[in-house]
Amino acid sequence: MIRIDNLTRQFPNGKGIFNVSFEVKEGEVFGFLGPNGSGKSTTIRHLLGYMKPQKGSAVIDGYDTWKNQAKARGRIGYLPGEIAFLEGMTGSDFLDMMAGMQGITDKSKRTSLIQRLQFDPDTPIRKMSKGMKQKVGIVATFMHDPDVYILDEPTSGLDPLMQKLFVELVLEEKEKGKTFLMSSHSFSEIERTCDRAAIIRNGEIVTVKDIHELQSMQRKVFDVTLTRSEDVEAMKESRLSIKKTEGLFVRVEVQGDFDNFIHELSKYSVKNISAGTQSLEQIFMDYYDAEEAGS
Amino acid sequence: MNFPLYKQMMKSNIKLFLGFGLVSAIYVVLMTSLFPLFADNLDEMESMMELFPDSLLRALGLEAFGNYGQFISAEYYGLFYLLILGVFSVMSAVQLLAKLVDRGSMAYLLSTRISRVQIAFTQMMVLLSGLIIIHVLNFGGGLAAGELLIDEQNAIAMKDFFQINFVGFLLFFAVGGYSFLVSSLLNDERSALATAGGLTFLFYGMNMIGKIVTDVDWLRNITPFSLYEPGKIAGGDAEVWTSSLILTGIGILAYTLAIVLFRHRNLPL
Repeated sequence: MIRIDNLTRQFPNGKGIFNVSFEVKEGEVFGFLGPNGSGKSTTIRHLLGYMKPQKGSAVIDGYDTWKNQAKARGRIGYLPGEIAFLEGMTGSDFLDMMAGMQGITDKSKRTSLIQRLQFDPDTPIRKMSKGMKQKVGIVATFMHDPDVYILDEPTSGLDPLMQKLFVELVLEEKEKGKTFLMSSHSFSEIERTCDRAAIIRNGEIVTVKDIHELQSMQRKVFDVTLTRSEDVEAMKESRLSIKKTEGLFVRVEVQGDFDNFIHELSKYSVKNISAGTQSLEQIFMDYYDAEEAGS
Repeated sequence: MNFPLYKQMMKSNIKLFLGFGLVSAIYVVLMTSLFPLFADNLDEMESMMELFPDSLLRALGLEAFGNYGQFISAEYYGLFYLLILGVFSVMSAVQLLAKLVDRGSMAYLLSTRISRVQIAFTQMMVLLSGLIIIHVLNFGGGLAAGELLIDEQNAIAMKDFFQINFVGFLLFFAVGGYSFLVSSLLNDERSALATAGGLTFLFYGMNMIGKIVTDVDWLRNITPFSLYEPGKIAGGDAEVWTSSLILTGIGILAYTLAIVLFRHRNLPL
């Protein structure tokens, strides 16, 4: 459904994207992971036809996104990373205009989306909070029932409850066979919805992998607080990878082998346990480590 | 053209259009109401005018104002009108493209099946609609005030007054055209405003200098402002058709270029 082939664009400051290639199949939810400034948005801008590729091409449903940009755009619902609305409008004005431009007259999907996201569309946009603007953006993206969704950091600005609702929306559309390309800098956002993900760094695709493979590569950090200091000593002797101890506090790193971790912990008296999330940078580092170990 | 976009753009801009239209209508009525006072003291005015150098009078279009047509041309269409419409054309042209690109809201307009050509064409139509609204109000105000306040012997022929407004519209069709072109090419709202505004100021200044200093009157050949001579239209000795054709040509060329170049350039959205 989406095919990106050797897409290259270098900006005057040397940054850019270089030979980016990947494919998103019909009905697939594809994650596009990378830290800020890695080239996610630049790639997406090519898909919207805002820029002419210096090299390579991007195709949506058979339409070249530069040469045939209006046709290619006609297939998609796009949620920009930074939402900039027109001035002096209410949410409803904006949605009316977008619906007109998308060529839809049926308001049923729009009404149900507004109901689920719970906001008042008649508020002037300049008075809206960041989260509310994001909701208006989400409605504009979903209301015309496109075949392909391109979402640039879709949950930024949403509270956890709305993030959960958003995941539901994505899964419902996926059920209907829709295709998604979703960029993010947070792994946890992607892992709940995506089938596969590409990781981009410094403008180059590092890897394209099944999401479960990426999950198993991910190392998780657990902060465990014990009640007895002899337990701390005993834990240090075990096969667990201990990163740090401080009094009764132990930081353990686990990769894949959760069973062993639980078994080991069951021997001690545990007062508290919390799981830290691993930053994307760390996943990259793990990825490189794994690559090196493999070769 | 895309109608939903046009409708929303008109809705967002109608206050601006009506505002400029009303200000220009009020001004033309105000100037018209001054004419009877002026006409009564014509001799004193003329003797006072002799104190000024000829070149200055020429530059301001004040060579003759024995009747209402020449008066309103000199006092309004040669000065304040150019200022209001110049500001309007540059400002609106920049707002309708460059500003949207600069602020990023163009990303939304360009996220649907509507092509860039359609977007740019629609925005051009919004600009032209604004110019038409302002000129209708301006023409209507002037016409009504002329009927009510000016006596038969000094009145301007309807045809001449229409031509003053019509060629004026075409002048700003052209000014709006090159401003729209600048707006379509630049990513930064401020630099678009500075470029289009600076260009307009330069053209206006060249026309003035060409009038004052007869040695460099060739300067007037490269500015569209020289094609608009309301005083001469009022006096019946302007080449209205030639001017109209050239101004229309400049406008069409500029808008076409703007739309074509906007289609092919990279947008930083």
